[in-house]
Order: sequence, then structure tokens, then C-alpha cells
Amino acid sequence: MDGFERASQGVTLTPPKVAVRGLDISFPGQEGAPVTVLEGLDLELAAGEFLAIVGPSGCGKSTLLRVVSGLLAPSGGQVLVDGVAVTAPPPQVGFMFQRDTLLPWASVFDNIAVGAELAGRSKAVIARRVPELIAFLRLTGFERNLPHQLSGGMRQRVALGRLLAYEPELYLMDEPFGALDSQTKTVMGRELLRVWATHRRSVIFVTHDIEEAVTLADRVVVLSQRPGRIRLDLPITLPRPRDGRALRGTPEFGALCSEVWAALDLAPA
Amino acid sequence: MSASALPFTLSASPAARLLRDRLILFAIVIGAWESLGLLGVDPIWVSAPSLIAERLWSLALAGDLWRHASRTITEAGLGLALAFAVGVPIGIAMATYKYANSVAEPLVLGLYSLPRVALAPLFIIWFGIDLFSKVMMAFSTVLFVFMLNVHEGLKTVDRDLVDLFRTMRARRGFITRRVLLPWIVPWMIAGLRLGVGLSLIGAVVGELIGASAGLGWYIERSAGHLDTTGVFTGLVTLMAIAMVGNAAVAALDQRFSGWRNP
Repeated sequence: MDGFERASQGVTLTPPKVAVRGLDISFPGQEGAPVTVLEGLDLELAAGEFLAIVGPSGCGKSTLLRVVSGLLAPSGGQVLVDGVAVTAPPPQVGFMFQRDTLLPWASVFDNIAVGAELAGRSKAVIARRVPELIAFLRLTGFERNLPHQLSGGMRQRVALGRLLAYEPELYLMDEPFGALDSQTKTVMGRELLRVWATHRRSVIFVTHDIEEAVTLADRVVVLSQRPGRIRLDLPITLPRPRDGRALRGTPEFGALCSEVWAALDLAPA
Repeated sequence: MSASALPFTLSASPAARLLRDRLILFAIVIGAWESLGLLGVDPIWVSAPSLIAERLWSLALAGDLWRHASRTITEAGLGLALAFAVGVPIGIAMATYKYANSVAEPLVLGLYSLPRVALAPLFIIWFGIDLFSKVMMAFSTVLFVFMLNVHEGLKTVDRDLVDLFRTMRARRGFITRRVLLPWIVPWMIAGLRLGVGLSLIGAVVGELIGASAGLGWYIERSAGHLDTTGVFTGLVTLMAIAMVGNAAVAALDQRFSGWRNP
């Protein structure tokens, strides 16, 4: 049906979007002994796949994204994006942090436009494309506002707009909605799915919210306590398009969430 | 005329109310000062606003007021501008070359703590009795403020924001121009805020030690003649200059630092 299914069946010959091979990450610890955050991690992401990674805090899920984005060099093993080993930020990778990380002195328009500028788009293209994104993200009327004049949810929509303006092939999202209240979080999840349905880019979405992971992703990977290893790699076969609110009472959804809970070795609250 | 158009009513805007209250405070201070004479305090000690106003008027008519004031403003202004031009790049270098900064830090802070007043005689010897020595006095007084402020400002830069631009493969120059420099604008303005007063102190101290014009020179000469009114006239003029400078910095702050004060 889509690229992901064929890729996961090994039919295509194109390399996976992201391949993590025997990845080790350790940091110098407090008493000189290195702290191992990730150990021997193997993971693949097919083109167009939406992967969610959940795990206890400190399990190295954010660290993994930093390595894939080229911000952090691995201690061992390697990460390949489009078959090329990552040694510096690879092209067409968009990052989104939990904190909105907007330019606080720049307007909504300028904050989104900078993504297109860094993608090398011409002034004419930027002038046409940014208003489209502002409309798409329902930010019309706020073009000239500064970030501090916006709500948390709106700021994250601006950050998403900047990411879209950069036109990445791979989205790396580090708990992008983690700081939002649950209602806004649900709305933002729906926005993200709308974006993803339109563009079908590859996504690695780190979260500690199990329901969010199951609602959004094609596949949920559960990492263990430090050093992080894969405890569960669970395909989410729920039909799309998905409606988070409608999904939440269904037995299928509950069963998937329980499976993730069990892998996390935590009792549901 | 409707009630809302009347000035200084209860419905006056906060800005108008503030201005009114400031004028009232000003009038109270002037009135209290003036009445000291009526209470029997000899004007030889504290002069009086009326005497100062008279002196200002005669100095202005003779052209001396502008001559002295413009001299001091030029010295302080050039010193401030030079300190900005030199201090900001040094502050950026301090943040960029962390090890070199650690090496130099005790020395820099030692120089910073040195009372610049004590340098004035040396500066007169080095740079002469004219304008340049006072510019250097103002410069040396303000320089460290810009260096340390810019350095501190760069320490507070959001690492995630810089990392985000790195993931978008922004070049170093792009990050400097579009992230780091705008980030430290409020710190530069804070430096200016301190610099206005400090540069005047530097220039005036230089003038007190040795000069042929300027408000510091005028104050020094008046004091030599036990002319209290002359001393106060110089002080009041300096204060007015500093207040105008502060207002200009406040306007800059309003315009460029709004994003920091939501």
C-alpha cells in the first residue's frame, strides 16, 4: 500500500532512511567512570515511516536523535542516513525540540521564513511559501507577532512551520509536544498527522507518552533503562487516518498501549 | 470639551500620569532647595535654584554654557563610542576563546577593579591636556562594562537554539549574524545604560585634573573661587546631559529589547 510496507518486506533496494548500527554512546561520568547511555543499538527506519520511540527518562532516546542529526558523535558504531554515515548534520533533516527554540526577536513570519532561507529558497519562493504554511498551520493573523505574544501551542506550530519550510525528508522530533497541556497536545498530534499525511516524510518521534506514540506512529520502539536497548519493536496496524479521540476507548488501542506499558515494565496508573 | 480630553484627570493615560508625577516631584525638590535660603541657610553653602537659573542664563548668553557642555559631551560620547567599538568584539572573543579568557581573566578583572580616577594623571601625561586624554578616560571607564556585559550575554545564549540552526546546516557566520548578535543586543543596551553615566564620570574626572574647557573644568574653577553657584550650575548641567542620555538609551531599549520583557 505504501513505501513503508514494501520496504519492511525487503522488496525495495533503496537503503533505509535511517540505519543505526551497533551504536554506543557514553559520557564521562562524575567519578571518572564513563556512563553508558546506549549500547549496541540497532534500528532501521524505512522511508516514509513514522517511528515513535518511548522509554524511561534518561534511557538515551534524546541522545539518539542528537546522533542521527549529527549534533553528537557516537562513541561506537555508526548511524547512516540515506546510506551515508553521519559525521555532521546531514542534509534535509529537520529537528524539533520540546522547547520551541524560536528566535525570540523575530516575528512568526520571519521565524518560519528562516527555514526556507536555510533550505536555499529564493526570496520569491519564500514570499509565496511562508503565507501558505501560515494558513496551513492556522496562524493567519499572527504573522507579525513575536513568540512571547503567543501561547505554547502556537509557538510549537511556528516551530513546526519552520521545520516544514526547511522541507526536510526526515523529521527528528524530541518530545515536541511534551511541554503542552494534554488538550493542546492532542490538537498538535492531529496537526502533525495532517502534515505527515500530506508529505509522507520519515519521522522519528521521541516521547514518554505511550498513548501519543500509539496514536501517531506506524511502529513503536521501547527502550530499556540505561544503557538503552530495544525492549519491544511493535508495529501499530491501526487504520489511518486516525482520530486520537475516537481511538482512545477502542480495545485494539488499549491492547497496543498495554503491550507498550508491559515492555516499559511499569504498571499503568 | 469632553472630560476625557482634559489633561491630568483620573482618566489620564498612565504615561501622562507618570509625567505629571515626575514634574510634581521635580517642583517639590526645587521648592525645598529654594526655601533653604528663606530658612536662613547661607547660599554660599547650597546656592539656590534661582541663582543657578540666573547663572545658566548668563552662561548661555555668553556662549560659555554650550562651549563647556559640548566639550564634555564630545569627550564622553567619543569615549563611549570607542568603548563600544572595542569592548563588544573583545567580549565576543572572550566567549569564543574560553581558555584564553580563563588565562586572562584575573588580569582583566584586576584592571576592571582599578579606580580609573587614579589613572587620570597618567592619562594627562600620556595623551596631553586636550580632548584626547578625556576621551581615553571615558573609554577606559566604560570599556570593561561592554566587555563583561557582552561576555555574560553570550553565556546565556540558548544552546538548543544554536543546535537547531546547526541541524539546518547553517554556517557559522549565519549563526553569528542571525542568532548570537541579536541575542546580545539587550546586553549591549544595558552596557550603554551604565556607559552614559560612567563615560561622563571619566570625562569630568579628566577635566578636574587638567583641562582648559568642559563642565569639569568649570566646576573645578568655580570651586577654586568659592563660587558654589558655579559648582552647582556645572553639576545641574551634567545631570541634565545624563538624563537626556538615559532617555535615549531607554528609547533604544524599548525599540530593540521588547522581546526580552514580555
